[in-house]
Amino acid sequence: MTLVRCLNLLTSALLLAGIYAAVAVGMTVIYGVMKIVNLAHAGFLMLGMYFAYELFERFHIDPILGAMLALPVFFLFGMGVHWLLVRWLPKSDTPTLASLLLMFGFWLVLQNVGYLIWGNDDRSITTPRTLSSVSVGPISVPEVNLIVFAAALVCLVVLQIVFHRSWFGRSMRALIQNPYAAQIVGVDDERTSRLTFGLGTAFAGFAGALLAMVYTFSPDFGRPFLLRSFVIIVLGGLESVSGVALGAVVLALVETFGPYVPIPWYWHGWFFYHFSESLQPAVSFGLLVVVLLIMPQGLAGLFAKKRRLA
Amino acid sequence: MKLPSSASSRLPTPARENRGRWGPRLQILLPWLLLLALLLLPLGKPSANIIKLLFITAVWTTTSVAWNLLGGMAGQVSFGFAVFYGLGAYSTGLLMHAGWSPYLAFLAGGVVAAAASFLVGLPTFRLRGPYFVIATIGVTEAVRVIMNNLDITGGSSGYRILEKSLYNPLEHYYTAITAVTLAVAISIVISRSKFGLALRAIKQDEDAAADLGVNPYAAKLKVHAIAAALVGIAGGIYARRAAFFYPGDVFAFQTGISILLMPVIGGIGTVWGPVLGGVIFGTVEEELVANFPNFHLLLYGGLLILIILFEPDGLMGLLRRLFRRRREDSGSENTDEVFWGRGRVAGRKL
Repeated sequence: MTLVRCLNLLTSALLLAGIYAAVAVGMTVIYGVMKIVNLAHAGFLMLGMYFAYELFERFHIDPILGAMLALPVFFLFGMGVHWLLVRWLPKSDTPTLASLLLMFGFWLVLQNVGYLIWGNDDRSITTPRTLSSVSVGPISVPEVNLIVFAAALVCLVVLQIVFHRSWFGRSMRALIQNPYAAQIVGVDDERTSRLTFGLGTAFAGFAGALLAMVYTFSPDFGRPFLLRSFVIIVLGGLESVSGVALGAVVLALVETFGPYVPIPWYWHGWFFYHFSESLQPAVSFGLLVVVLLIMPQGLAGLFAKKRRLA
Repeated sequence: MKLPSSASSRLPTPARENRGRWGPRLQILLPWLLLLALLLLPLGKPSANIIKLLFITAVWTTTSVAWNLLGGMAGQVSFGFAVFYGLGAYSTGLLMHAGWSPYLAFLAGGVVAAAASFLVGLPTFRLRGPYFVIATIGVTEAVRVIMNNLDITGGSSGYRILEKSLYNPLEHYYTAITAVTLAVAISIVISRSKFGLALRAIKQDEDAAADLGVNPYAAKLKVHAIAAALVGIAGGIYARRAAFFYPGDVFAFQTGISILLMPVIGGIGTVWGPVLGGVIFGTVEEELVANFPNFHLLLYGGLLILIILFEPDGLMGLLRRLFRRRREDSGSENTDEVFWGRGRVAGRKL
């Protein structure tokens, strides 16, 4: 593998990490505060894509602007969903059977609504930007991927600021650390959960609107991203913003470079096996299993252990 | 004003008397009558369609009861039972191609599925939190992708079972009935055994269960393997009758959803709830998909939401409420009670 090819792969891996981080961040926030695995995340993502699509087709609004518009709309939508469904769930430190099935049911409903409105054809948004690319020396980068990467960075930074510089963020962190103690010191559990769910949904809609520029989509979109988001959350240690970035980078690197790593394999004699590109969806699952076996606390846990030793 | 419970229980209302006399006997008799009816049914020369419908229903019910062992009794939600279903189907197909007897092939399919269950269970059951659930979503995707690319099974174009013997619908029918009977029997035995109690303890509070001497890790692995084996057998039975199957069918995420939906509809954690759910789902599904191809996901999703929010015990809870079977002293919201043989463990009254 030449150096140029390697650099190209590295860049595309980083850009992929941007996409993954943008998708995972909404799920992380909700999981951290409410300990709910938001299986409907994929549905919100899909709705975000069609939101951008409709705005583009009907009003010729640029998908980037569409993504901005998606933020408030999906924030309200998420709060509505919380008010209607999620707040009735029993509270727990671990995801309950009821919360899983409820969010799953809601995902099915969203998916079917998608089918009813838009049918099951693949759609895509084609702007002049779609096919253009930026090249720096020998490395060329699709422009849309760059935009998504930048947006993901902005998302993470904004979330970091909200987390550490606002009272809302402070109450979120309190709930993440210990929900009971947080309530004792006066955190409004209900209100914070509602806002958090809105925030998570807004991130999902935003990410979906941006992804609409990159991928073709149908109402079934999002299931592979659900698993990937979760692998990222697990890698990042389940509830930190910097962990999301780290997890996304690791997953993207493994997925991109995986097919080039020879795996020693025995079948009528030793040889090196290269798994094919088409097996990529299996990679994230393999990674999840390996991570859970080796370091269940995620990468952050690994660092924490080192710090404690030092 | 409410009477003290000792006084109210002594009131000789006729309804109470009747229920006391016939209720338990009916509970014991009804399943046997049902089984007898199913076994004798072919004597009445029913149409091929009815036999087919009952076959499908029996296969679905087997998977439903199996899901309930893990999801209902031990409280571990799995979206990935399609994997075991598909593995059972493929193992059966490959082994029958290699000249095995179909019945041995079914059992081997169960063994393969049980072995596969450890792939998900070993890394995830040790940890608290959502790891298992997410892994089950992942494993369906991963296995389907692998099966789509595997050459010896024909990849995504599917696999065909060729049988030299004549096609005998009754043989398939009886195989499926045997499987579902086996599944229900296992479910009854587990729900009445100490193992079943351990599972329910894990569902309610894993720490407390561990303190009482239950090993949650081992118990969860064990019940996952049992459930997987049953689903694998069901997959094999389905595959032999269908004679053709492909990864997008048996390994579909949709299959996993269906398997999960049945016990939830019927009432998770009970013995007969999943059976009821399976029977309803099996008979309705064909019609539903044929008539409302655009609405069935909406219906399933809406049903799931309604059940979780309003009647977490499913149809079983609804029935119990209708017939006021819930004893006043047994606590109002106990979703873990086994309807069948309540409060009895290995013949001893608790």
